[in-house]
Amino acid sequence: MAMSQEELLRSPAVWQPRSPEEAASMKTAFGPDAVYAAGSTLLRTQWEAGTATMPRHLIDLGRVAGLKGITEDGAETVIGPMTTLTECRTSERLAESAPILVEAVKAIAGWSVRNLATLGGNVVFRVGDSVPALIALNASLEWLEGSRRVRTSAEEWAAAPSSASRLLTSIRIPGGEAGARANAKRFCAYHKVGRREAFTPSLVTIAIQGTREEDGISSIRIAAGGGQTTPVRMTRAEELLLGGRPDANLLQAVYEAVLEQYEPKTDPFAADLYRKQTAANLVAAALWTQFRDSASKG
Amino acid sequence: MIDNTWTERTAGARLECEVNGRPVSLDVAPSARLLTVLREELGLTGTKRSCEIGRCGACMVMVDGKPINSCLTMAYQVSGSRITTIEGLASEAELHPVQQCFLEEGGYQCGYCTPGMIVSVTAMLEHNPNPTMEEIEEAMSGNLCRCTGYGGILRSIARAIETGGQSNDCR
Repeated sequence: MAMSQEELLRSPAVWQPRSPEEAASMKTAFGPDAVYAAGSTLLRTQWEAGTATMPRHLIDLGRVAGLKGITEDGAETVIGPMTTLTECRTSERLAESAPILVEAVKAIAGWSVRNLATLGGNVVFRVGDSVPALIALNASLEWLEGSRRVRTSAEEWAAAPSSASRLLTSIRIPGGEAGARANAKRFCAYHKVGRREAFTPSLVTIAIQGTREEDGISSIRIAAGGGQTTPVRMTRAEELLLGGRPDANLLQAVYEAVLEQYEPKTDPFAADLYRKQTAANLVAAALWTQFRDSASKG
Repeated sequence: MIDNTWTERTAGARLECEVNGRPVSLDVAPSARLLTVLREELGLTGTKRSCEIGRCGACMVMVDGKPINSCLTMAYQVSGSRITTIEGLASEAELHPVQQCFLEEGGYQCGYCTPGMIVSVTAMLEHNPNPTMEEIEEAMSGNLCRCTGYGGILRSIARAIETGGQSNDCR
């Protein structure tokens, strides 16, 4: 059946570059008329909802070499942004090096959407549920900005995304903490609360990654996000915990620090106080679970 | 470098893929939804249109053996792929075993979600013939049913697992 002229006129032109440099040069040439397309699941829902209009040009990243797969580079785990969420979910390498990222991905949409959607797309969304996990993991992001390679932390990206047009080229998760002693034990947690048990947009997400040694917590990163809230580090809670052994008093202080620092965006489904209390409870409960022996003695 | 002309746009608009074992070649807009292509260009109306945001699973199809929401998928994304719709599961003579289990265990009521449910169950069992309840819940979380309360669907899945959803012994 022939395509109607009207359908053709409505449809964006789809370009399929073969290299990051070619993709970036297309974006430079088309400017705001072009949008990079990965799995496109978010783009499609935005077009359906009318929150974004279809662009004149789609730059499909599906055929760009080197943007897919999970590899190692020294101590770093390197994830290509075009790696699907299902591939992240089922990766043994990520299960070992970044279990909170696997937990985060598992809670994003459903299996069928994860077969299309990519980790890069979720990161570039900025409020994607993988971002708190990447901040807690101290992940860094590599971008192609014109012909220049740029590296930022996931935390910097969430706090202040560049206004320049950039193409995400890799997501890098560091190995062990620099300077951590051999007897340091890693602990981590990821929790998402939504309005349903599964396949639901988040109201609150929290991610924790740290190391503990005999004399207490030797490193810790806590991030909170969820809904349309840009994920941020809970630095005050981290400061309280560093070097300490969480007991009931310390966990109470951590609860209050998160309650104070976490500033969620509200929406018709949940008020900000509910979200703040939920985030604070999730962080305190996750730490209590990790340190319940010392916590019960406080 | 970029020849931004109507000729260039049209040149990339031919979709070549395989649908239910048969080669397909169509002139469609590259951004046309797979759901629209299947239903309106190929007449495969077993794939249902419902939420259109990837939430309900009524439009589920398999692309290269993986379940995907055809409402979220654009034509250019399935170029060269092997697509299986609900119409491609049964043989001419008999139902697919998963379909038979849904029929015998009352895994449907109005039936609108049923094609998507059956495609998802089939894909799940092809990847994992003996899923746990947790794995079933994860695999099926993208399919909604507003009639059954899911009891009959879970019975149907349990039966399909017991009898081997890949073989024809669910009868």
